[in-house]
Amino acid sequence: MGHFVLLIISAVLVNNFVLARFLGICPFLGVSKKTETAVGMSMAVVFVMTIAALATWLLQTYILIPFGIQYLQTIVFILVIASLVQLVEMVIQKVSPVLYQALGIYLPLITTNCAVLGVAVLNIQKEHTFWEAIIFAFGASLGFGLALVLFAGIRERLDLADVPKSLRGTAIALITAGLLSLAFMGFAGLVK
Amino acid sequence: MMGARKKQKTYRFQGGVHPPEEKLTAALPTEAMPLPEKIYIPLSQHIGAPAVPVVKEGDRVLTGMVVAEAGGFVSTPVHASISGTVTGIVDYPHPVGRNMPAVVVESDGADKLDEKITPPPDINSLTGEEIREIIKNAGIVGLGGAAFPTHVKLSPPKDKPIDTLIINGAECEPYLTADHRLMLEHPEKVIGGARLLAKALGVTRVLTGVEKNKMDAVQALTGATGSDVAVVPFAVHYPQGAEKQLIKASVDRVVPAGGLPMDVGVVVQNVGTAAAVYDAVTDGMPLISRIVTVTGPGIRTPKNLRVRIGTPLSEVIASCGGLAPDVRKVILGGPMMGNAQFNLQVPVIKGTSGVLLLTESAAEVLQPGPCLRCGNCVRVCPMGLTPLMFARYTELGMFDEAAEFNVADCIECGCCAYECPAHIPLVQYAKYAKAEIQNRKRKAAG
Amino acid sequence: MLSAILTLAGLGFLAALGLAVASRVFYVKMDPRVATIADILPGANCGACGYGGCGAFAQAIVSGEGKIEACSAIDEEGAHAIADIMGIMYTESEKEWAVVLCRHTDGGVANTFDYVGISDCRAANLVGGGPKACPSACIGLGTCAAVCPFGAITMSADGLPIIDPNRCTACGVCVAECPKNVIVLAPVSSAVSVHCSSEDKGAAVKKVCSTGCIGCGACVRVCPFEAMTMENNLAAVNYSKCRVCGLCVSVCPTNAIRDHRDELKVRKIAVIGDDCNGCTLCARACPVDAIAGNPKEQHTVDPARCIGCGICADQCKRGAVSMITVDNTEDEASGPATVVGGGGR
Repeated sequence: MGHFVLLIISAVLVNNFVLARFLGICPFLGVSKKTETAVGMSMAVVFVMTIAALATWLLQTYILIPFGIQYLQTIVFILVIASLVQLVEMVIQKVSPVLYQALGIYLPLITTNCAVLGVAVLNIQKEHTFWEAIIFAFGASLGFGLALVLFAGIRERLDLADVPKSLRGTAIALITAGLLSLAFMGFAGLVK
Repeated sequence: MMGARKKQKTYRFQGGVHPPEEKLTAALPTEAMPLPEKIYIPLSQHIGAPAVPVVKEGDRVLTGMVVAEAGGFVSTPVHASISGTVTGIVDYPHPVGRNMPAVVVESDGADKLDEKITPPPDINSLTGEEIREIIKNAGIVGLGGAAFPTHVKLSPPKDKPIDTLIINGAECEPYLTADHRLMLEHPEKVIGGARLLAKALGVTRVLTGVEKNKMDAVQALTGATGSDVAVVPFAVHYPQGAEKQLIKASVDRVVPAGGLPMDVGVVVQNVGTAAAVYDAVTDGMPLISRIVTVTGPGIRTPKNLRVRIGTPLSEVIASCGGLAPDVRKVILGGPMMGNAQFNLQVPVIKGTSGVLLLTESAAEVLQPGPCLRCGNCVRVCPMGLTPLMFARYTELGMFDEAAEFNVADCIECGCCAYECPAHIPLVQYAKYAKAEIQNRKRKAAG
Repeated sequence: MLSAILTLAGLGFLAALGLAVASRVFYVKMDPRVATIADILPGANCGACGYGGCGAFAQAIVSGEGKIEACSAIDEEGAHAIADIMGIMYTESEKEWAVVLCRHTDGGVANTFDYVGISDCRAANLVGGGPKACPSACIGLGTCAAVCPFGAITMSADGLPIIDPNRCTACGVCVAECPKNVIVLAPVSSAVSVHCSSEDKGAAVKKVCSTGCIGCGACVRVCPFEAMTMENNLAAVNYSKCRVCGLCVSVCPTNAIRDHRDELKVRKIAVIGDDCNGCTLCARACPVDAIAGNPKEQHTVDPARCIGCGICADQCKRGAVSMITVDNTEDEASGPATVVGGGGR
């Protein structure tokens, strides 16, 4: 049990996928203008990451390895992720058209989100067991969501500040992201 | 007798500031101002519909005669404050900053009282309904400054039962001493008026709140009252005299956001209003004069004056020795919530509690700087709001976001602007935001 | 090898099956035209169309509720493209721009008090109607410039808005936000406006401003096209009737009516063709004596004097007079103007 807790803390705080591993920067910068859209995006990513990790782990263990076709890993994983993202898109469009509009292009871009593929591949690299894989993916997505929502909150307040003209928009956002990343370095060493 | 009375508990309200009291005129007895030559009685001196004139050019009027009738339920009549001839109903400068219709009366110097003004036959047998009728016909409005028609405040709807009447003698604004002098010089009128108001409302619990910097007034009132009206001293803490804060401090009830004191079973009336009610019921006298504190470093002789409604400001200033040479700003009201004037011809109206004249150094204009996010404004706001947020959103023209920060609940007391180290005009942002939000609502409704 | 092919094919088939089922379950009807039209629209979200933004407007166009003409910021090409997509007609309306009906800087309007506070006209208006001695004057703190979504307004040094006709799209935001309502929308070709918004009587206006409208009515009387209205002591130009002849400008005693014809890039003049039989009706009707010619002989129009009012064209019974659009940049002494636009009135 304690092992799983450490796994989650590691994935969420110590080795945060966005702020420590620098994966998934595209939606991180693209969807973090408002906290509501950030929360919506995070929930989509939680779903995709966890199910993708589950499916890819099963595929790797029961099909790719037994048949000796590990070299198909990347293609197979992407196939799974893309299908899941399509599914999520359809669901969101039906359930919340407003969120669908707000996420815009970033929803299908979850497919190419290196964080999702990263989780799947890392699970294999670290030789996680079935449950470890799921917990790790869930933690990773929570960490992604945390970074996203935190950053969205900061950006909303950044809109009110008097930023010098040359730094407005993406420039100040990237500087802030860097500072947030530095802040998360404070968790280093929390979990070995 | 004194030992038997138990000490009334008082509570604290959140936020608030402690500006210097500057009660220069606290020890000066009220003087009667000499009669003006002409008076200008605006038809709109109260919250609600303007009064409708019942006189025309050339009519002869006597002191206390009705010159305009109430324009609706939330409205009051206005009376002639001197006797003379009506020279016309014209658009005349008004303290709000633009010209508004006013009845102009030229004095005949006699100040002859209208014969119809007589006290009712048996004051003690008057019902609550009859008292309210007398108050309405006397043109009495809240003399604390808001000028809300008193008879309307005394007629809450049936689903809002009232159990407490609070008489407001706090006078928390710096410089103003009109209420202080009234409580010292006519405590029997204040207490008598309180009793009549209690009867009109049908309540038994009455308390009069006075700030502790007026202990002589507390003593005077205590001497004039019995066990039916409690006199409670409060800490000197601005804005102690603001309705919602006074209610919290005296009976520990919080008026809900967007609500009124009647929502928590309370009605608050100013001591001046209570005294005017006493005069109206006991002598049949309508509201034609009030005590005005003329004060500040910009006036030669600060005074507490009893002024007839409609007297031009220039005459009031003249009877106080005139303006000091370095005067810079003229405010009607106190320094925290008063309105600056640019035309000294404006008349004294029912809600004018004071005239504050400030010199260059006292009215120094400080350049606003950027917001430091220091949080002073949040700390001192008596309504628990976050002025820095709605001020910034208003500055950026984002009025919907400003509305989300409850700017509608702002009482415009001035505590935030007073404490802001960057001298940001926070109250102006609040007023601006409120006006724009109302504007947009109206436009959206079509 | 086989296992690889089978695995991929199998997975692909499963995924396709799953998604096909899901797309039935979560079916949402979407009109693809909405996205295309939203792309063509300017994207400024100015709100002139009356909808929340370009996206909402695109939706409205497709549903039939919104008219393309409602968008003032779109150019002709874009409007026609949308009309083609929808298969509907698009009629061009004349381009408009914002005009500020106040010239308090020329009129010497003083301040009645020192306004110290937020530098915004809407905020200043709450303080006794603003610091200007004229209650209807432009306050000059630049709210219109700040809210213009196209950056078309700049404030002059002494506090009057200057509108750039090349950037102004007549979206109407400045008109709505001005607390004194001194900005109106007028057709770009309408170069004459009454630059005053005061409804005070003449004496009151003169006391505070030397170039305000005093309600004398001279303009109403002189206008040959009944294009001047007088309401509440304030004259105004009826832009649909005004032919920009400029007579009102010349009779206004306070110079409240101003003429911007020199600023326009093009102007209209009359040209008399060969059908002329010399009846002299046009010459007699011309308010500026721009037509010369002997009776029963071909008449000619002096392009330098012609003001393009079109009275002559109205008078001619033979249709010999036509109005053409020419370049406005040549000076008065030169010969025939360079024809820019076609004939017709």
